[in-house]
Amino acid sequence: MLVEVLIQLVVVIGILLPLSIAVFVGRERLARTRSEWRTRLRAAGPTVGVLLLILLINRLARQRAPRLSREIGIHLTSWFYNIEGEFILIFQSIATPELNTYFSLTYIYGYTFLLIFPVIAYFTLSDTRIFRRLLTAYALNYAIGLVLYVFIIAYGPRNLMPAEVTETMLFDINPQYRYITREVNSNTNVFPSLHTSLSATVAAFAAITRSEFPRWFPVAVVLAASVAISTMYLGIHWGIDVAAGLLLAALCVELSDRLVDRWSLSELFEDQLRQYEERLPWERSD
Amino acid sequence: MNWTPSPADDGVSRRSFLAATATGGAVATSGCIDRVQSVVNTVDDEQVSLSIMAMPADSDRQNIRIARRLEANLERVGIDVSLDVRARAELLEAVLIEHDFDCYVGLHPADYDPDFLYEALHSTFAGEAGWQNPFGFANIYFDTLLEKQRRADGEKRKERIGTVLKGLAREKPFEPICVPDEYHVAGPDRFTGWEDGHLATRHGYLGLEPAEGVDELRALVTGSRMTENLNPLSATLRKRGTTIDLLYDSLGTEHDGEIRPWLAQSWEWTDEPADSDAGTQGEEATLTARISLREDCEFHDGEPVTADDVAFTYRFLEDTSLGRAAVKSPAPRYQGHVDLIDDVAIENEYQLTITVVGGRETGERALTVPILPEHVWREQVGQRASDGDFTASQGRWDVVETNEVSPIGSGPFRVDSRTEDESLVLARYRNHFTRRDDVELPEATVDELRFTVAPGSVSSIRRVEEGDADVTASMLSAHSLPAIPDSSDIRRLQYPSRMFYHLGFNVRNAPCSNPHFRRAVAQLLDKEAIVADVFHENASPVATPVTGEWVPQALEWDGEDPETPFVGSDGTLNVDAAKAAFERAGFRYDDNGRLLGGY
Repeated sequence: MLVEVLIQLVVVIGILLPLSIAVFVGRERLARTRSEWRTRLRAAGPTVGVLLLILLINRLARQRAPRLSREIGIHLTSWFYNIEGEFILIFQSIATPELNTYFSLTYIYGYTFLLIFPVIAYFTLSDTRIFRRLLTAYALNYAIGLVLYVFIIAYGPRNLMPAEVTETMLFDINPQYRYITREVNSNTNVFPSLHTSLSATVAAFAAITRSEFPRWFPVAVVLAASVAISTMYLGIHWGIDVAAGLLLAALCVELSDRLVDRWSLSELFEDQLRQYEERLPWERSD
Repeated sequence: MNWTPSPADDGVSRRSFLAATATGGAVATSGCIDRVQSVVNTVDDEQVSLSIMAMPADSDRQNIRIARRLEANLERVGIDVSLDVRARAELLEAVLIEHDFDCYVGLHPADYDPDFLYEALHSTFAGEAGWQNPFGFANIYFDTLLEKQRRADGEKRKERIGTVLKGLAREKPFEPICVPDEYHVAGPDRFTGWEDGHLATRHGYLGLEPAEGVDELRALVTGSRMTENLNPLSATLRKRGTTIDLLYDSLGTEHDGEIRPWLAQSWEWTDEPADSDAGTQGEEATLTARISLREDCEFHDGEPVTADDVAFTYRFLEDTSLGRAAVKSPAPRYQGHVDLIDDVAIENEYQLTITVVGGRETGERALTVPILPEHVWREQVGQRASDGDFTASQGRWDVVETNEVSPIGSGPFRVDSRTEDESLVLARYRNHFTRRDDVELPEATVDELRFTVAPGSVSSIRRVEEGDADVTASMLSAHSLPAIPDSSDIRRLQYPSRMFYHLGFNVRNAPCSNPHFRRAVAQLLDKEAIVADVFHENASPVATPVTGEWVPQALEWDGEDPETPFVGSDGTLNVDAAKAAFERAGFRYDDNGRLLGGY
């Protein structure tokens, strides 16, 4: 089941990516990238490394986090539910079979595409800063999200109101998706909505780079908004999770601006290296 | 070896004595706490608050729906209510072990005999962690009723059970809601014989007839607990103990409501106490079973199964520290069974006598516990007890929860492999006695029994239909039943239902310590509407936790609850009438319609 779903995902993204590169990026940038990719990669290397490291930690931690979370986390389901009650059910009032399909597809395929495409697009820019900022923002989203997931235990609306959201519930329509989401997430990780925060991050960057990628900007905004709504429409997240996702996105975009180019990683390591050397006894020669 | 757990030779029953102290203690402390509270924070002016613990839809879809309906009605009558949503094992941990809850919605595993109410409600267990009396209920009169039903058989017992049920319906330490229909689905041709045994017991998996060339049974389960931990003593990870039933043997086995010899070749009941010295006088009637074990049985590791293991099992369940801790540490399961036992005496390797307090019907229930290998468990306790000041915190210490004890039993299947969250593979145990030519009992007919975790009932049905699995081992969720296709590719199986949804109260704390409050809350449950809306009529509303012949006429369902009918009609609450019930219970309302503390 899982393999089947993954193959579908790879195929869909495999079709969408080349198409969108042709539409949004253009031949000229691609050509330049072919000649400059080495230097760009060298410049962005440390950032890529940090992101991969965070993703790896995230992957490993997701297996252990539920247990740790049970030990130290606080249960907030009733709190969320008390505050917003049946708010997300307003999306049920507009439910149609077409919207079900649209939001289900957006939640799985649209989201994956939204995350991958800018990575490629921004790599085609000569100045690697925006590329590095995007990766940094991704890394921050995952890192902060993971910490919040450990401390906050909450179930999403679909777990409290199964009957009310049943018409649109992702897993009822497409039970196979349960296998894929189960791989990446536990059902108590709802606060904040990382779907929302990462999509909003992408949309924010699309706004920043709208002079470079004018056609991408509106597409990114519509897709990001659809992803955020889909999480509530499908009963996966509370409105609070989505709001927190938006705040997290704003924080990560802002932090990425402050952190990137603040210090060069190599300099940082040299500093530390020097400190260690000073501590070593044989260096303390007189 | 002669092990005598309860020498009741002083004329006063140990049970009644303990009951009296426990009750006295509970009553005294609860009064005390209430008084302190009312002095400190003038509880009179505070809105009554209540937290309902329930499971997320991923664990049990009906559970949360019942809880939300109740929540809405509690809010209407002015109670400050909150929903506390916990995954199954965590809910059970909070309810059974920590006793940290106000009330909860749960599905009780029940048992084939109503004697399970003994461990569920007897005050002896009110302080223990585990399936025994999680409610903290303590009532001397009720204890007597529970004890009396044990001493009778046949019609007389039925009458006494009726009295227990009537008392229960009045006092309501928990309120039964409904008994869901138990449906499973199986593939059309790889196996036949599904009707011969309940899939929640070992008989569901033994004696099946596989088609030509089929040597693997692929079953789907919705929960992943069996892939994580197979400790037979765990309270939070076991429900009906189906896997334990397959891995371990018991002396007798329940099939269609009757206990038949299993690991025991035979038994014979007599009124004679086995040992006149340990005999009991006075009110407690005892029965003694002379039991002959099947010879040359072995555990999965090759060690022989002897009378010592049987005696050890009963002793170990009564005190999992085996006397090495200062205080006894009863297992968090099987306490009703163990409490029946008055004496176990070994005669030789394969002969022993078990003396039980009570009649034959309940006495046979004591023979259904899994027989554990002494050499494995004694070593486990020894390892943990080696340090000087050893304590075995009852119901929660390592031995009753750990995953480290290898699940070695003597049952028809042994553990082959286990992948957490994915699957548990059992292999046929070739030396099992059911495979002997002279034994006329159903045996394992496949080399491999594979339980695969499938997260939802709807997708499980689809997998069976597509031939990807042979049967759903877990009871199908009511919401998934319409997804069963009307096709020849799938067979719908129905088994008698025993489990019941209920609302359990923690009677240790206010406001649920007040039976009048509990009754007023029970009247907010519209069981008919719950069965119609939540279960799509695939359940029966009940006023009692047992069904069928045991239910006295006065408590039979006749369109509404005979004791505490829903206040309202057609699923709509009559708020004024419901509030009046709380006022009658001694509570008051403020001008904003909020329910205030009553005492």
